[in-house]
Amino acid sequence: MSNNPYQDDRGNKDASITKTGGGTMQVSTGTDHAMSTDEAFLIGDSMTGGYGKSGPDILHDCTIAVNKGEIAVIVGPNGAGKSTAMKATFGMLHLRQGSVRLDGTDITGLTPQARVAAGMGFVPQTSNIFTSMTVEENLEMGAFIRKDDYRQTIEQIYDLFPILRDKRRQPAGELSGGQRQQVAVGRALMTQPKVLLLDEPTAGVSPIVMDELFDRIIEVARTGISILMVEQNARQALEIADKGYVLVQGRNAHTGTGKDLLADPEVRQSFLGG
Amino acid sequence: MDFLNALVVLSNFVLIPAVAYGSQLALGALGVTLIYGILRFSNFAHGDTMAFGTMVVVLVTYLFQSWGLSLGPLPTALLALPFGILGCMALVLVTDRTVYRFYRQQKAKPVILVIVSMGVMFIMNGLVRFIIGPNDQRFADGERFIISVREFKQMTGLSEGLAIRTTQGITVVTAIIVVALLFWFLNKTRTGKSMRAYSDNEDLALLSGINPERVVLYTWLIVAALATVAGTLYGLDKTFKPFTYFQLLLPIFAAAIVGGLGNPLGAIAGGFVIAFSEVTITYAWKKVLKYLLPENLEPSSLVQLLSTDYKFAVSFAILVVVLLFKPTGLFKGKSV
Repeated sequence: MSNNPYQDDRGNKDASITKTGGGTMQVSTGTDHAMSTDEAFLIGDSMTGGYGKSGPDILHDCTIAVNKGEIAVIVGPNGAGKSTAMKATFGMLHLRQGSVRLDGTDITGLTPQARVAAGMGFVPQTSNIFTSMTVEENLEMGAFIRKDDYRQTIEQIYDLFPILRDKRRQPAGELSGGQRQQVAVGRALMTQPKVLLLDEPTAGVSPIVMDELFDRIIEVARTGISILMVEQNARQALEIADKGYVLVQGRNAHTGTGKDLLADPEVRQSFLGG
Repeated sequence: MDFLNALVVLSNFVLIPAVAYGSQLALGALGVTLIYGILRFSNFAHGDTMAFGTMVVVLVTYLFQSWGLSLGPLPTALLALPFGILGCMALVLVTDRTVYRFYRQQKAKPVILVIVSMGVMFIMNGLVRFIIGPNDQRFADGERFIISVREFKQMTGLSEGLAIRTTQGITVVTAIIVVALLFWFLNKTRTGKSMRAYSDNEDLALLSGINPERVVLYTWLIVAALATVAGTLYGLDKTFKPFTYFQLLLPIFAAAIVGGLGNPLGAIAGGFVIAFSEVTITYAWKKVLKYLLPENLEPSSLVQLLSTDYKFAVSFAILVVVLLFKPTGLFKGKSV
């Protein structure tokens, strides 16, 4: 088993010189790199799996975690499985190994809808709004599972995204890209989630709008909502991230605080363009 | 005076019948468009769903008539209408549970559901003919006219008369009420909004906690009500004959597609477009032209563009033209 030469007795069975039956327990601890999952509020723990029951594995022993009120960002090259890793935490990927836990409770077996009810909010990358419905109706639909009065929450979202208050009666499909993303985030916030998952929220918006969206996301995190985000714009995203995960081919390549990753020469070299 | 007479003739033979027919088509097309928008397939069984609902209304009307129950000047069928709606709801729910739900669970492609609905159409068609027979049923009673030709002539002193039948009046009034209720439901209530949300973006609706089975259930209930109302109004205006209802499928689909499939406003507009084209093209214009043109230009023929036997050709032609040049319909629909 072991390739330690000192553990190889070359087939010796002579009991007159050696006594058999010594201790065999091996002690081995740790992953040799920090996983920082001690305070994780939402954690996708060593997930392995792919789309469908028989599809090839896309994630290999991948761990993603986000702490309470923090922003975690998943970055990596194209096809690294960033979105897939996030979808896996939301029950949209068949896991062969690993588990997903929300606030200590195992939710691996829950459907996405059930996870919404359990306190997760998800903003897909595309078709994330009801285009034919007004902004306000979009928000109302977001609150569909709530039985209490949600006017207060709508007001909070209008305070967070003031432009939406002006456009509340307009069909969401007529808004600009950045405003649509605000509607999408607002809709997901209507359930008052504890964790918000954002799949490339700044895809296809101008740099100015992107900065504004990031500012809003920080504001959301300040209210105590944990945010797990997949981002194409790695540098800007890591700047606001409390924790960053660099994935390569469905595996954790680098993990650390946003600042650490930005300072890491290897990460800079390979993913941030020097 | 000639101009007024022409106007009266036109109203009597074209405008009023077309408005009534258009309302009936609009109600039918609303049902088709709702199914298309929410269940994502063209329901070929819609004409026969209408026939089934109307059949229940006819049978209950006969029962009430035998009991001597009536609404005075209004047709007894209005009293029987709620029973027809309930019967039709039961039918579509049983169909959904036994047939459509299986295909939804298989996540079948919509085109498969279209073919399935054709099978359902044949079964419903057979069922209706089995129960009530293939013949004409006249079940309209009560006052026949709101204004008859003679009354109108006496009132106005014009040489041409105008008649408004009770059924035409009821058709328009009922259609307005039903459409207003439907739009209120879709735009103002939580359930209605969830139906629109589901139609707009199924995945996001699911993520928002909207239960698809519930949305489908409400859709069928509304469609059953719309189909029964449309069928009953058509039956009151003309007569009830199962095969006619099967044929109505063409103008109804033409209406839904002209307006833009999946768009309720479009269904209403489409209904009137189809009805007005059918009636104006199959109407003999001689009488109107006689009043409007100088004597030497008076037409000798009937000036009828198409015989009424070909009225379905009109809706079919419109359907083809719309699909060729504006496949999404007048209002922005979803079909391409």
